[in-house]
Amino acid sequence: MGTAFRDIKISRRGFIKASAALGAATALGSYAGSKNFNPAEIFGTAQATPATTVEKIKSICSFCAVGCGYVGVVEDGVFTKMEPWEDHPINQGGMCCKGTSLVDVTNSPRRLRYPMEKSGGKWNRISWEDALDKVGGKLKGYRDNGEPDSVFMCGLVHGSNEEAFMFRKFAMLYGTNNIDHQARLCHSTTVAGLLASFGHGAMTNSVEMLTQSKIFFFMGSNAAEAHPVLMQKVFEARDKGARLIVADPRFTRTAAFSDMFMRFRPGTDIALLLGIINVLVEHDWIDHDTVDYRTYGFEQLKEVVKEYTPEVVEDITWVPAFDIREAARLMSDNAPGAVIWSMGATQHSVGTYIIRAFAILATILGWQGREWGGGCIPIRVHDNVQGATDMCVLSHFLPGYYGVSSASSWEYWAKVFSETTSTSGNISASTLASRYTTFTNKEGVETNLQLTPGLTVSNWYKGALMQPVSEIDQPTNVKMAMFWGESISSITEMKEQKKALEKLEMLVVVDPFPTAAAALPERSDGIILLPAATRQEGGGSVTNTGRAWQWREPLVAPLYESRTDMAIIKELAGRLDMGNHFDYDSYEAVTAEINLGSRAIGNQGETPERMKRQKEYAHLFDPKTGKAQGGPVDGEWWGLPWPCWTESHPGTPVLYSDLLPVSEGGHDFRGNRTYPTDEPNAGRPMLREDEPQYGTQHVPQYSENGVAYSMDLTGAIVAKALADGNPPTGRGKMRIRVFEQTDKIPIHREPIESPRPDLVDKYPTYPDQPHLYRIVNCEFETEQQRSIAEKRHEKFPIVLTSGRQVAHHGGGAQTRSSELLSEITPEVYVEINPHLAAGKDIREGDMVWVESARGKIKVRAKITERVNDQTAFVPFHWNGVFEGESYQDRWPENTAEVVVGDSVNIITSPGVDQVTQMQETKVALCNIYKA
Amino acid sequence: MGVNKFLIDHTRCIRCTGCETACKTNNGVPTGVRRIRVVTVNEGKVGERNIAMPCFHCYDAPCVKVCPTRTLYKRGDGVVNHTKEKCIGCGYCLVACPFGAPQFPGGGIFGTRGKMDKCSFCVQPFNQKDEQGNMIENEPIPMCARFCSTKALLGGDSTEISKQFRERIAGFISFSF
Repeated sequence: MGTAFRDIKISRRGFIKASAALGAATALGSYAGSKNFNPAEIFGTAQATPATTVEKIKSICSFCAVGCGYVGVVEDGVFTKMEPWEDHPINQGGMCCKGTSLVDVTNSPRRLRYPMEKSGGKWNRISWEDALDKVGGKLKGYRDNGEPDSVFMCGLVHGSNEEAFMFRKFAMLYGTNNIDHQARLCHSTTVAGLLASFGHGAMTNSVEMLTQSKIFFFMGSNAAEAHPVLMQKVFEARDKGARLIVADPRFTRTAAFSDMFMRFRPGTDIALLLGIINVLVEHDWIDHDTVDYRTYGFEQLKEVVKEYTPEVVEDITWVPAFDIREAARLMSDNAPGAVIWSMGATQHSVGTYIIRAFAILATILGWQGREWGGGCIPIRVHDNVQGATDMCVLSHFLPGYYGVSSASSWEYWAKVFSETTSTSGNISASTLASRYTTFTNKEGVETNLQLTPGLTVSNWYKGALMQPVSEIDQPTNVKMAMFWGESISSITEMKEQKKALEKLEMLVVVDPFPTAAAALPERSDGIILLPAATRQEGGGSVTNTGRAWQWREPLVAPLYESRTDMAIIKELAGRLDMGNHFDYDSYEAVTAEINLGSRAIGNQGETPERMKRQKEYAHLFDPKTGKAQGGPVDGEWWGLPWPCWTESHPGTPVLYSDLLPVSEGGHDFRGNRTYPTDEPNAGRPMLREDEPQYGTQHVPQYSENGVAYSMDLTGAIVAKALADGNPPTGRGKMRIRVFEQTDKIPIHREPIESPRPDLVDKYPTYPDQPHLYRIVNCEFETEQQRSIAEKRHEKFPIVLTSGRQVAHHGGGAQTRSSELLSEITPEVYVEINPHLAAGKDIREGDMVWVESARGKIKVRAKITERVNDQTAFVPFHWNGVFEGESYQDRWPENTAEVVVGDSVNIITSPGVDQVTQMQETKVALCNIYKA
Repeated sequence: MGVNKFLIDHTRCIRCTGCETACKTNNGVPTGVRRIRVVTVNEGKVGERNIAMPCFHCYDAPCVKVCPTRTLYKRGDGVVNHTKEKCIGCGYCLVACPFGAPQFPGGGIFGTRGKMDKCSFCVQPFNQKDEQGNMIENEPIPMCARFCSTKALLGGDSTEISKQFRERIAGFISFSF
């Protein structure tokens, strides 16, 4: 092979061009040539022709939520190269391996080319019309039979805000709350925890503002692998003297850069945090400006943390008492600081309480509420998971965080759907309500399913497998599931999921790649695959982890026969007689409807025109703060982070910071809560105390005639608040004590599968919960006691935790289909400490079984000191092998991923979070032995 | 003006391998050839560091000295480049190189090694000739450094990148006082 590289490059482009042409041809109805696609043939025959048109289009990366910009080079309508977008204030051109592989991912020959159906044990190509008729017909059938809750829809985490909104609207109008997306598994506990503490459930700083931080406390985040570009901001702060503390069960790549590393036992996060708070309280290293005037429940917190002395915490967490004191000292010496977490902290049975402990730590240190650069930094995982969360593709919220359990939310959205000028449809609240069913639950209580949170991503399989009424709060089982850009290998209990997938009447997968959902179930028919366009082919806005909205233009037209999510939702809605609510003529029209309706979090200012203007003037934004200086965008913050109250508001870069006037991006804790009944001033609104130096500042959340600002479509109440110089959400208090949750102050509770039965006696998990997200009896204590009764801590003495690899993303369907990324990380492995390996005679590279009470997986051993001798680590991006047996042959022809591996979620814990049903992937008990 | 160089700040490299894929995406490098590779030392221990290893474009390049066919040559701007047509794939440059930079696509056993390939500092287009057949010295634009996620890898004019690096260090020193 003596080919010069220049030739290879050209033939590569030729190959891409050829495959795009193929797509165009098949879209016109010609089936020729595409069935037995042979890349080598095209490689050999491609001619070197110089491109006639070269376009350079600014776009946003479609992997993690940092929101990096890049410039896509499009030659003759084919996405061929990438250039750095060097004046983008978030990444300044930098991208990780996933981002720089976008060309390879977009043009992957392994993509799904046309709709397919599995029938008679074979994958058959079908036409779009046929496929949509089948899916639409089935949906219509369930609705007309009065059982819309037989459907479970999930996904659109990789769509735009517009498509996520349309998907939620689709389920609302269809008549079910059984809709959910990946945020359930990523940061649902973050949303619940921060919302309960502060008033909004999102990251409190913008990404750019991290450069202003003086100390970083990473706990449960391996940003160097999961969010590489975020480390650029961390290093910029470090260049000005910022410190790094990393607390993690593993010595991660992030920990390698830390000033201090604390290795703690998985699942003991709260104990460690309370230990640190104990030291802070003991020395009175507390920011009294914030705590005395702007928080509720500090006295009760003092009582609770008394018990968690560093010595007690050392026994629970493995962290030496000296280190806990030292960490507290470092934190109090360096302010403001940022508490950074990701899935390591959220995916626990006590996830919501861990997040609340973070919020408490950041507030009492004074990092939250005033300073820039500090606060609570949950780093989201998918490019638009923050946006899809805001658009509430969630079973317990309507778009914009309006709770499903309140009838007024439904009335409000019915009004928005009718009043919007983007669509022609009209609907009344009563018509909308009539599409939902009621049923009598196990206890004989009549339940309106419209006002009941639906099934979630983490428990959907229970909806398919458990008995209706007696075990699940539904009149019927789930009989049809739609996985729309959702990977089942990131969900726990894969064995149960496999059973559920096999039991369904119809399984629909909408994705650029077939994903494991299509291949895992051993069924011969009833699977429909719809090829969705990638994010490089669809437009709309995306919200990054720092609440910044960025506009994404499509680089190229959808390849092959694939269609954008927007087009698919429109077609399905048309088949369900809801087309008049989806007759948008552009992405911008959908954005207008979001601007109209999503008022609770202030999405009024994020108009397409402003986002496009920011893109054009990106060079005016300071990468160290995110603020523009001069030009038509003068004073605006990058991405107009919500709340962006009006079309002239600059966005709010730091939530709850009262340093700035509200018109320039200031904010405050939300003032919509009242004191609980066990307080002397019960029932009175919980507002900020008077501060002599700031004047009187207690302001309740704005409302008029009983209508809150969030339900006022005219915007008059918001205008009044801004004229007063106050946030429409009022000026309230941060709640250290949250009275509507089981633990009013977070306390340590052992994970569902604990290696320490003695501690379970002292720190047991929650009692079982009735009627939680449609599960009649959600087991907590029972499951924990079962683990002890079965003596799992003896049979499976090693604590298993899972996490990420830099080259792969989510369930890995995109990245493991890319040769570039597969080359970097070609295999799944289990990290084992040298001492543990020596005791079990396991050597580097051996194949081993990792077994838990759920099953076992066969992976390669990687001997490393990253983990200690009581812990093992397996990355979770993998599928294609099930308990040691490959099922690559079940993928449609030519679409199987380049590299496959066993899924750790076959063996992870069955535990879920007590508030949000977040799965507990980070703590399970396992054993390892040679295969 | 200085010559073109890479500067690797090992206190910033997090091994995101963005440089490797940026190189491959923009130069169409096939699987198995790594013009730049990030290596980790002390993996999983205190002192773990990552270092990106491209071709360092030596001033007195050993590969240029030993190349029997004059495939490798040194440009005025410091880039060590190569002419694909002249290469016989002997691998002598790999023996001479102190860093293991030269790559040989094709693989296989005896005698099937391909022609040498290495980092060209992203001279684009590569090996372009004018009408008389003389090599055009196109400007080098190192994509790996431009895409580096944490700005650990700096690449380009040595005067400019050393200034950038000094500013980084000076920021730290001035803040410490």
